[in-house]
Amino acid sequence: MPQTILEVEDLKSYFYTEAGVVKAVDGVSFTVNKGEPLGLVGESGSGKTVTALSVLRIVPHPGRVVSGKITFHDEDLLAKTEKEMRRVRGKQIGYVSQDPNSSLDPLFTVESQLTEVVMAHEKLSNEVASERVLKLLQLVKIPEPEARLKAYPHELSGGMRQRIAIARALAAEPDLLIADEPTTNLDVTIQAQVLELLKDLERELEMALILITHDMGIVAEMAQKVVVLYAGRVAEVSHVKEIFSAPKHPYTAALLQAVPRIDKKRELVPIPGSIPNLITPPSGCRYHPRCGYMIDKCVSIEPTLERVGEGREVSCHRWRELSLGESS
Amino acid sequence: MGSLVNYVLRRVLFAIPVFLAVSILTFFATNGVANPYDIVRFGIHNPSAAQLDALKAYFHYDDPVYVRYFLWLSQFLQGDMGKSLYTGTVASNILPWIATTLELQVPALLLSLAIGIPIGVYSAKHQYSKTDLGVSTAAIFGYSTPTFWLGIIAIIIFSADLHWLPSAGAVSGYPPYWWGNIYLDSLAHAILPLSVLTFVSLATIVRLVRANMLDILRQDFVLAARASGLSEWTVTYKHALKNAITPIVTVVGLGFGVLLAGAPALETTFSWPGLGYEYVLAVGKLDLPLVQGLTMIIAVMVLGANVFTDLAYALLDPRVRLG
Amino acid sequence: MRSGGKKPVRRGASQRAVGWRRFKRNKTGLAGLGIIAFFTLLAVYGLFLDPVPGRSYACLSTGCSNLPPFADWNHPLGTETSGIDVWHEIIHGSAGDLYVGFGATLIAVVIGLAIGALAGYRTGFSGAVLLGFTQLFFVLPVLVLILLFSKILLTFVARGLGLTLIVLILGLFGWPFIAFIARGEILRIRELEFVQASRALGASNFRILFRHIVPNLLSSIIVVASLAVAGNIVTEVVISYLGFGDANTSTWGLIIQEGANYANTSWWIAFFPGIAVVLCVLGFNLLGDGLSDALNPRLRE
Repeated sequence: MPQTILEVEDLKSYFYTEAGVVKAVDGVSFTVNKGEPLGLVGESGSGKTVTALSVLRIVPHPGRVVSGKITFHDEDLLAKTEKEMRRVRGKQIGYVSQDPNSSLDPLFTVESQLTEVVMAHEKLSNEVASERVLKLLQLVKIPEPEARLKAYPHELSGGMRQRIAIARALAAEPDLLIADEPTTNLDVTIQAQVLELLKDLERELEMALILITHDMGIVAEMAQKVVVLYAGRVAEVSHVKEIFSAPKHPYTAALLQAVPRIDKKRELVPIPGSIPNLITPPSGCRYHPRCGYMIDKCVSIEPTLERVGEGREVSCHRWRELSLGESS
Repeated sequence: MGSLVNYVLRRVLFAIPVFLAVSILTFFATNGVANPYDIVRFGIHNPSAAQLDALKAYFHYDDPVYVRYFLWLSQFLQGDMGKSLYTGTVASNILPWIATTLELQVPALLLSLAIGIPIGVYSAKHQYSKTDLGVSTAAIFGYSTPTFWLGIIAIIIFSADLHWLPSAGAVSGYPPYWWGNIYLDSLAHAILPLSVLTFVSLATIVRLVRANMLDILRQDFVLAARASGLSEWTVTYKHALKNAITPIVTVVGLGFGVLLAGAPALETTFSWPGLGYEYVLAVGKLDLPLVQGLTMIIAVMVLGANVFTDLAYALLDPRVRLG
Repeated sequence: MRSGGKKPVRRGASQRAVGWRRFKRNKTGLAGLGIIAFFTLLAVYGLFLDPVPGRSYACLSTGCSNLPPFADWNHPLGTETSGIDVWHEIIHGSAGDLYVGFGATLIAVVIGLAIGALAGYRTGFSGAVLLGFTQLFFVLPVLVLILLFSKILLTFVARGLGLTLIVLILGLFGWPFIAFIARGEILRIRELEFVQASRALGASNFRILFRHIVPNLLSSIIVVASLAVAGNIVTEVVISYLGFGDANTSTWGLIIQEGANYANTSWWIAFFPGIAVVLCVLGFNLLGDGLSDALNPRLRE
């Protein structure tokens, strides 16, 4: 029986900019279960990162969480005080951002940055802290960890920096790790290693994992459950196998068509158009300007997220009629 | 550590050609246009024949330019920095003048840093707020105001009109002393120039700190630090500010080197007898030996400030120590 | 397929168009431009239309000297004991100071771009030498040397050339800064992907330089140039204030010097020209800031 560790209900986070109110996350709901890595998918601008930042309540100015409910370990995170949230961040929920080149402070050594996080959540003696830090480096499979302690970030390769960033996110032993496009800025060979590492960690530490990505290939490899975001809303929720064989939302299908596959010979079809303006999003279904199956209803009426099966949800007016995907 | 020493050595070595370049430029200014003897004679009233002969000898009037240059440079390097036409040797005057300038520059710098950094940080963290807008506007006005002019206005208001504070010199030459005794008198004299200098420096510092902090606060490691549960104080001061401050160290250090030259215009306005004021007087009187000597000394101080700044920067930012 | 929904408006997507649109929305840049336009108009008026010439002591004979401001609307900002009218001096001073500001910056940019581009494009020894030469100037006590050169040149060389000499001096001391920025930018732009792609496609160095590098370079140089004009004007004011400038041409520094001498009796002589300096310098600083914001997008969307 899957144990729900995080539940996001109707989350809305807006950015109040000079150009207008950017509705980056506009009614997103999903759940994360222990042992069931979640893939949060969408193009850039779909609201994936802002969702993650909203959970941790570190949405940068001029943005903020406007409404919704985020339940973690039976507590509403949005109701907590800032002081209480600080105890959640790092200790209960860890976050790894996408660019290893800028996610570590260039002026401090590896050791100092890892120790800092450990000590922020637990009062340990220097020796115990040092041991913990060393174990962390071993955990993320850094070769010759003792030698790396005194290194500065710019002295390390991109792959190693990302491992250190992951180590820092795990330093206080959180129950949930949010990895935000952890491999986007890495070489392909290193990508595979980091993904492998995340899989091992998820297993060894019995940790829940949210993997944010725009790459369906990574989703196929890492996730068990998939949430597809589009323009700040949830387009589709599904188990990973079904989403590849029988997607129910046109956007998901289009995403799949853009992924090259070795076993099938076909053209790469990019999705026409570009991400919508989030200050004045399209009326009705936000995807309708780019959708190949659009009808008049899609322009005027917004679809709601409907439950269409075991662990499956879709927000499309035409999910019953359409037969998408390439189940063959 | 080795790379650090290496780095500093390289900077010090670089100073040598700079020193030579300054000497050439200075010498060119005073000798390139005309023979200095001719220039100086222009500035003296009713010279006697004996004076003129002594001057000719002093300036090696009959020697070609390069000989004059080497003679002057070698004398300088041996400690003979020249003899002013009016006020004694350069060497004997230099220390009191530098001290007087520093009396103004050092407190101004410390005050503007102590006040400016917190304001800049606050402004950056609360971007778009009314406070930020006010601070930015005030800063850009302050940044555009010539310091010496502000000094004139200060004199007009506080000295000429209200008679609250004196307007000239660093201290009264003779009693009655302002505010009772000679120490308070010095203080009274320092208040106006110090305030003006601090205010304008503040504007620069606030602008810099705010701009750098805004850039740094956008970076991923700030977000990541916050996401790890570190306190806002730690994130802002330990991580963000430290990153923002390193380019400021460069600016302040280089600026300080320039400030050592005494902010000539400001000191002149207040007749503050520091290096800048004396330099202006010397140039005005065409007291070339003094001018040459002072220019070289100022250049050395600026170089020193530069090397020191580089050292500080390398200590703060480990990325700089390579290559 | 595209029925309903908003029709996407096709607007110019080039960097320049985007930058210009952002600049128009940017109030500080426009304010700066407005201020500069104002002073340019004053300068033009002073040069061609003002019946009262610069440094005119006319008031000595017509009895309007030593007037406080706002008393006589023919002399709105007051006059000096010597007969000089403050408002007219501000007008003529605009011409003088803008001449120095623009002129010196122009020289500095021309030389600086040339040397900076060379230093940036040529790696190896020649590049290093140029860089070192440029950095040399950063360590020089520039103001001190400028004062010295100004005094000597203006006393002994061409007396009539006055301001032009100052333009030359400031230009010759100002180019290293521009060269340094230009070099840095060229190094950065060179590594941008589209330049490397161009090179891979076989474009010649010349073509790459002009079609790709220069336009990108111009945006940063313009920002630096605005700030350089501001700096040159301040330096000119300092030079004239200290008496090392041209005593026969109207500049703001000159009248401020006279105002300092009369601080006890006639506050208006130093005050109003100083306000002119602050506003003019502010204008260029605002323009530089506005351009910088418009051309360097920092807001993450």
